[in-house]
Parts: sequence; structure tokens; C-alpha cells
Amino acid sequence: MKGIFSVLVENRDGVLSAVSGLFARRGFNIDTLAVGETENHDMSRMTITSTGDQRTIDQIEKQLNKNIDVIKVRRLNEARSICLEMVLAKVSYNSETRTPLIELCQMTGAKIMKVTAKYLLIEYHSDPESVDDFIRLVQRYGIIELQRTGTIAMEK
Amino acid sequence: MNGAQAIIKCLEAEGITRVFGYPGVAIAPFYEALYQSPLDHILVRQEQSAGHIASGYARISRKPAVCVVTSGPGATNLITALATAYADSIPLIAISGQVSSDLLGRDVFQEADMRGATRSFVKYSYLVKDPDDIPRVIKEAFYIASTGRKGPVLIDIPMDVQLKKLHRDFAYPENVSIRGYKPEIRINMAQLRKVVSAIDHANKPLICAGGGVILSNAEDTIRNFCEKFNIPVVHTMMGMGVMPKKHPLNFGMLGSNGKPYANRAVGRADLLIIVGARLADRAIPQPESLATKRTVIHIDIDTAEIGKNMGPSVPLVGDAREVFSILAEQKFSAADQSWIDELEEIKRSTVDKRVFSDRFVNPNTLVQKLSEKMEDDAIYVADVGQNQLWSADNYIMKEGRFLTTGGMGTMGYSIPAAIGAKLCCPDKQTVAVIGDGAFQMCMNELATMMVNDVRIKMIIVRNGYLGLVREYQYNSYDAHYIGVRLNDWPKFDKIAEAYDIDYLYCSSDDELDDKLDEFLDGDRPCIMVCEIDSEDRVK
Repeated sequence: MKGIFSVLVENRDGVLSAVSGLFARRGFNIDTLAVGETENHDMSRMTITSTGDQRTIDQIEKQLNKNIDVIKVRRLNEARSICLEMVLAKVSYNSETRTPLIELCQMTGAKIMKVTAKYLLIEYHSDPESVDDFIRLVQRYGIIELQRTGTIAMEK
Repeated sequence: MNGAQAIIKCLEAEGITRVFGYPGVAIAPFYEALYQSPLDHILVRQEQSAGHIASGYARISRKPAVCVVTSGPGATNLITALATAYADSIPLIAISGQVSSDLLGRDVFQEADMRGATRSFVKYSYLVKDPDDIPRVIKEAFYIASTGRKGPVLIDIPMDVQLKKLHRDFAYPENVSIRGYKPEIRINMAQLRKVVSAIDHANKPLICAGGGVILSNAEDTIRNFCEKFNIPVVHTMMGMGVMPKKHPLNFGMLGSNGKPYANRAVGRADLLIIVGARLADRAIPQPESLATKRTVIHIDIDTAEIGKNMGPSVPLVGDAREVFSILAEQKFSAADQSWIDELEEIKRSTVDKRVFSDRFVNPNTLVQKLSEKMEDDAIYVADVGQNQLWSADNYIMKEGRFLTTGGMGTMGYSIPAAIGAKLCCPDKQTVAVIGDGAFQMCMNELATMMVNDVRIKMIIVRNGYLGLVREYQYNSYDAHYIGVRLNDWPKFDKIAEAYDIDYLYCSSDDELDDKLDEFLDGDRPCIMVCEIDSEDRVK
């Protein structure tokens, strides 16, 4: 099963390494991780997604709670939350593929951030599954470089 | 006041009267402040021992104890002791000197990233960058170490922070406020009612007590509860001392190194009440299967322990002492005497089929006789290896303490831990029992012992081998013994002589009584070597 943890932590040095170290030490997976400051400068929010059996997901929550730099852990329900990821991709094109690629961007709401003679630099954000789909769709045109963020999530 | 002086003030405010340590340049400002303070310093011979001595001291005083080391190798030498304390939930405050903060990260002389290196072995760690933070950090460190599930806390202090003056007037905070740490647990009453109902419905209840019971000072509370409702008890190795050995409701230590009848008691019980035990592999080989055949109540102060190794039927987060004080006030019908009789019968009919050599001292007899002869409130420190398992198996617990490292199993723990225990309670008879392998890991501390007039007694269970590894090679690798022979050195009599310690030698059961009497007589430090047959095994 999938676990989405929204983890409020002290905005201090060493906290990210303590949290990721906890996952490494206990053999938990980190599928995605996104970290950023919150509205309070002294607190950061980490969104961590992980997969594992029920016991593992429960243990992750408990072990996160046990960490003293962790202020609050919330387990988010995917259906009741907004989950977003962003992807940046340089996708190559030629005279034949240029139009369908631009149409694909229009249909999916992806933004063309830069045009060069060889590639389009495309930005796309959506829920994690749509991001997967989008990557599959542009793959056929030839991806030169791709970068994807971790999930950020918020309860509706 | 500079940072170093502020540390001393804080330690005094916490009631600390002595620290255990080893100096070096990066911690020199602290030592200068120590020089000007009334605090005692006990110089160890290697930093790991500073941690183990503090551990022995903390276990007996039931309060955090302080060890101090310098940066780099001094600090890394301490890590094994921190890991040991962490595994056994012992409250320690470790203060390590660090290179100046402007040099951090440049790999200068004796720089080691201690926060990074100890992350998974401490409950929390600090790198202090501003001397004005020192009072808050030390207050928090003591609070974190001694509340909730106890454990070691590291405070890494760069040299310049020790030297810099505080900008504010020194004031030791009265309160602690840490957003991410709220150890006061309000017991969940709905869960408690489920516990009560499970106990009420059980025909064959059994308590399994772990080290958490001792850490929570709950021995009396649990004993009262068991006596009131006639509930039998088994315990883990760290739970030795929850019940005296001869208590009619005590059915011994469970686990792969425990009493077969204790394990059979677990098998027969329809309700198992686990308290303050993490159910590691040595206590319960297949914890998942426990709750399939019986109701399991798991009581622990650490939420993360519950469900980590086993999914219990009824979890309850709370302090053992508090939980059992409440439980003792409930109205249960006392458990049926036939259940106790059944366990008695199992105990009586369990035949120990192990055969021990009669050429030398029988290790079982040794531990039995020794513990019988020891004072009622004595402290017994078992090291690690066969000596530890023979100790746990045969020790006749009265009202004293049995200290060992059950979690990490760190060889060479017993002598420094015994030194710490004896320093804390000089009036209590303190005996360390150790193998000839582990002795050589910590015999440097005989000097610490003599210099500080710490009068502990030591029994070296000698068989010329790393016995437990040898036994493992016998059982698992067709007796292909490799890397386990200690040969004939050192000459322990000469070691004793070098440190002006009394020395006794015993090589047969016949002379055991007399030798033990002589060994325990008076309070001078004494080493007694007991010759054991290397073929004698734990199992």
C-alpha cells in the first residue's frame, strides 16, 4: 500500500538527514520526498510518499513521530487530498513531430517554457498518475533530459 | 562566564556531582572550568569506558549520568557505549568537544562529524553554535534523556563556543518546551478498559516483564499487582530483578537462552501481558505468531515499540508504574490457583539434560553459590558471552540488581559498569562476572578502579576461548573453531599483581565454597579466576 506523510519539522540543519536516515536505517522506502519552508520560517514541511505493507506504513508514522525534530505527522488519504508533482522535460522534435507535440501540450495543459532548434522544454504538473501518463506520452518523441519533483500534498 | 563555565553551572543545577571522561584539546576549556568547580572527574583509560561507567552509574542512581570526551577519536571511541546505552534505554548525557565552529567541515585535525556518526545511536543530539544556547540545550538534554523511553543524548560543543562569553546573564531554565517531544502520556482509558476486560476474562494470564519495568521503577508495583491477583510472571534478560528468583509467582527468564519452563508458560497462557519489553529475537523467536493463539496485551511507553515486532491484540501506551498502579485498583477475580499449580508442575518436571564437566568449576554451580553468598541488595554485573547466559540462567536474584547489556551485547561492559554502579553506591557489594575474552577488552579500567578506590570484585570465568562464539561454531559449523582461541595469556595473577589487586584461583567445585567466601570477604578489590572446561556449553 501507499502512504503519504505530511511531516511538519523544525527548520534546522540536520533534520532532513535525520528523517531520511530513519528511512534508510529501518529499511523503509522513500518513493518521493519534497521539502520546503512553511508559512513559518522556523518550520518546514516534508511530504514523503512510501510503499509497504500495513505494518511498515504504521511503523513509519510511529518512527517519524518519535523523532524529536518532527513536530507533527499527518497521514494523508489520497482521495481526500490534493497531490501534485511537477516535471520538466526537454523533448526533441523534427518537422513531422513538432505539431503533434505542441497539440499534446495544449491538450494536457503542459507549458512550453523554451523552444530551441532541437527540443522543446516542457513543464507539466498534475497528480502523480497524470504525470506518469504525460511522461509516457512524450517518451515517443524522445526525451533528452527529464526531471521530476516529489509529491506535495494537502488535505482538501 | 564563558560557555564551558556555563556547562558546569548547568550540570550543577541538574545535581551532577561527578563526570566520567578523558580530556583532549577540543574539550580543554571545559576541563579548565571543571578545575575551578567542585565537580569530581573520574579519568577513564579509554573513552568507551566513560560511557559504560556512566551507564552503570545511571542504572543505579536511576538518573542521567554524564560522560565527557574530546573531539575526533575521543568522541568516536565513545560511540559503542552510546549504542549500548541506546539499546538498553539508559539515560546518559555525553558531552563531546568539537573543533572550532569556523573550522567545521574542513576535515581539520581530530574533527569527526559526531552528530552524523551517532544519529542512530542516540535519542537526540545537539551541535551547539552559540554559548547562549548552552543552558537551554543542557536542560533539554537532561529532560530528553530521562523522560519517556530513556536514552543517551549527545551534546557536541565546538571549542570556540566553550571559550566565548555568554551575552546574557546565566540563568538555568526551569521549564522545557520542545514542540516535537511530549513524553507525558495520558493513558487512554478506553484501551485501559480493554486491558481490564482481557485480564478479567483470562483463565491463564501471564506477565512478561522487560527492562522497561526497572526503568520505570515499577518493580514493587508489578509485584504487588501479581500478588494481589495471583498472576505469574516471566521476564526477559533485561527484566531480571523485577521479581526475586524464589518468589512463588516467578517462572524465570524466557527466550532462547532462558528457562524452558518459562517458554512453556508462554505457550500455555491464554493471556500474555507484555510490559516494557521490545520482543527482540532472543526473547521471542517468532513474535508474529504470539497473538494468533492467545490474547496479547502490549504495554510500553514507546508507541513505536508496539506493533514493531508483533501486532498485539490490545496495545496500551503508558508508563509501567502508572499503568500497574491503576490496574491494581481494579476489581478482578484472582487467577485460579490451578494455573499456578500447572506452571509449578511444568517447572518441576523440566529436567535439565545438560551435562557439565567435573574436571573444573561448573559454571552453573559457580553462579548459584556466588549469588547465594552475595549480600541481599548486592549488584551483579554480567558481561557478554557464555558467562552472561550462565549468569542469567543461575543467578539467584534477591533484592539487588542484575546489570548486563541485553540489547547491544557489548563485550567489556561489566567492569566499567560495575565501577559506575559502585561509585554510585559505595555501600553495595558489587561483583562483575566476565569471561577471559571480554576481560581483555576492558582490563585497562582496573587502573581507573584502583586510582579512585572503587572496591569491586571480579570473577573471570576462564576457559581460554571466546566461549560463546566457539559454541556457535560447534553448533553451526561442525566445530570448525577459528579465531576463538585465546591461548594462555595474559597471566591473570600477574595482571592482578600489576594493579595491586587481590587474586584468587579456583579450578574445582570442591574448593568453590571456601574460595568464594574468601573472595567476598572484606571490601578489597579482588580478581578470582574460575577455570571452566572449554567443552561446557550454554545449551
